[in-house]
Amino acid sequence: MARNRDTGEDYVAPVRRLLVGLIVILLAAVFLVWRIDNPRVERLRAEVIDAVVPPMDWAMAPLTGVVNLVRDFQSYQRIYEQNQDLRRELQQMRAWREAALQLEQENARLLDLNNVSLDPALTFITAVVMADSGSPFRQSVLLNVGRRDGIVDGWPTMDGIGLVGRISGVGDRTSRVILLTDTSSRIPVTIQPSGQRAILAGDNSTYPLLEFVESPDSVRPGDRVVTSGDGALFPSDLLVGQVALGTDRRLRVRLSADYGRLEFLRVLRAPPTEQISDPGSLLVPQDDGTGAPALSFGLPAEGDGTTGADEAAGTGAATGTEAADG
Amino acid sequence: MAENAPPRAWLRQLAFVLLALAIVFLQLLPLNTAPDDLPYPDLLLAFTCVWMLRRPDYLPVVTVAALFLLADLLLNRPPGLMALLVVLVTETLRARAPDLRAASFWIEWLAVATAVTAITLGGRIVLSLVMLPQAPLGLTLLQMVMTILAYPFAVAAAWGLFGITRPAPGQVDALGQRL
Repeated sequence: MARNRDTGEDYVAPVRRLLVGLIVILLAAVFLVWRIDNPRVERLRAEVIDAVVPPMDWAMAPLTGVVNLVRDFQSYQRIYEQNQDLRRELQQMRAWREAALQLEQENARLLDLNNVSLDPALTFITAVVMADSGSPFRQSVLLNVGRRDGIVDGWPTMDGIGLVGRISGVGDRTSRVILLTDTSSRIPVTIQPSGQRAILAGDNSTYPLLEFVESPDSVRPGDRVVTSGDGALFPSDLLVGQVALGTDRRLRVRLSADYGRLEFLRVLRAPPTEQISDPGSLLVPQDDGTGAPALSFGLPAEGDGTTGADEAAGTGAATGTEAADG
Repeated sequence: MAENAPPRAWLRQLAFVLLALAIVFLQLLPLNTAPDDLPYPDLLLAFTCVWMLRRPDYLPVVTVAALFLLADLLLNRPPGLMALLVVLVTETLRARAPDLRAASFWIEWLAVATAVTAITLGGRIVLSLVMLPQAPLGLTLLQMVMTILAYPFAVAAAWGLFGITRPAPGQVDALGQRL
């Protein structure tokens, strides 16, 4: 071939091939390690994001601001219709305000009667959205608070009105919120007023699915959806949205949070949840000191007092099982 | 040797790195946090293909690997997988670049379409082999098509902004060596 006329090429080509091979092996190793030991590599990812994204913030914030300004400017063109809409909404809001005031007074009276003190543990940290996931397949945002501010994995995140998602991945100065619309988001919810339990499952669309509804007949579009607090995953009774019937006749949720424009989010300090810090291991039978599995029978007769406590535990387990059998 | 090398080669290499960082940066801007119906094209991949087929000497394999690994980490993808596939596929493109130099643009586009399809399907196959959850198939295919359609625009942008063209037969560089 004409392109191989350089004499240097003969030395460069094998070295280059070696380099490409090394890079390929390295990248494959990174992927496999991530697959095997996910938490540690995800922590590495959080650290990388932590190092890269906050320094870009000075450029990101103004650019985002300018684009939003242009969008707002475009909306001025429809200002008359908006004004009419707003007046109409204001009228409705006045009625609601009246109702809310009455309810508040009633609520205060009832609380007074019950001597209830509200849970002081449910405080929040306000955070600014710095970046989104940058991929059409992932729905998440990056916040400008992190471990430094006491953020912990699993805390719920809300905007002013409704639930937005939960913290997943905390760096020192940043943390990632998996939005309810992400395909990996599963949240236990309750549908009011029927009290049905369901799982809110994101599917990368604007309206997440309601799965495992026991009797869909008792659920109607417009019903309120709140978190149920099942599995101690979230505090209960955080507003999520309203039930809507999708075009595919499946139950979906119209989220209360304004997903079109997430700017400031509240991270709720929720009660501690179970931490997943290491890859899972096999569940093996417990060794009770006599070298036999705890659930085997006939062992109490062999006891000679040398392993008293273990023996007692073994006996307890054995009799417990027998009782369950009988 | 180093002082004899033209500095423009370094500038061109830097240009691609800056372009790639700008693309990732724009993708990260929190402009639209609601899910889209139409995914935007993978511009980083499209521009990498442009450079690989037109000026492969300005884009070392280390740069490709590093940039895509960074993108994997920042964009919440399985780290290393996309970078691995892109390195493998773009190396075949690099090997074919001299043959494609005299071919028409349609043939070049076809080569890029094959490469993008290979990366997309390869990624899905690997993800299903290691039993990982995947993005919806329709959305992935849509993004693949968008990326392929974006290729001519990427070519035009690379030509307009950075002067990246296919070296004409017999063209020489600053030192008088044939490209």
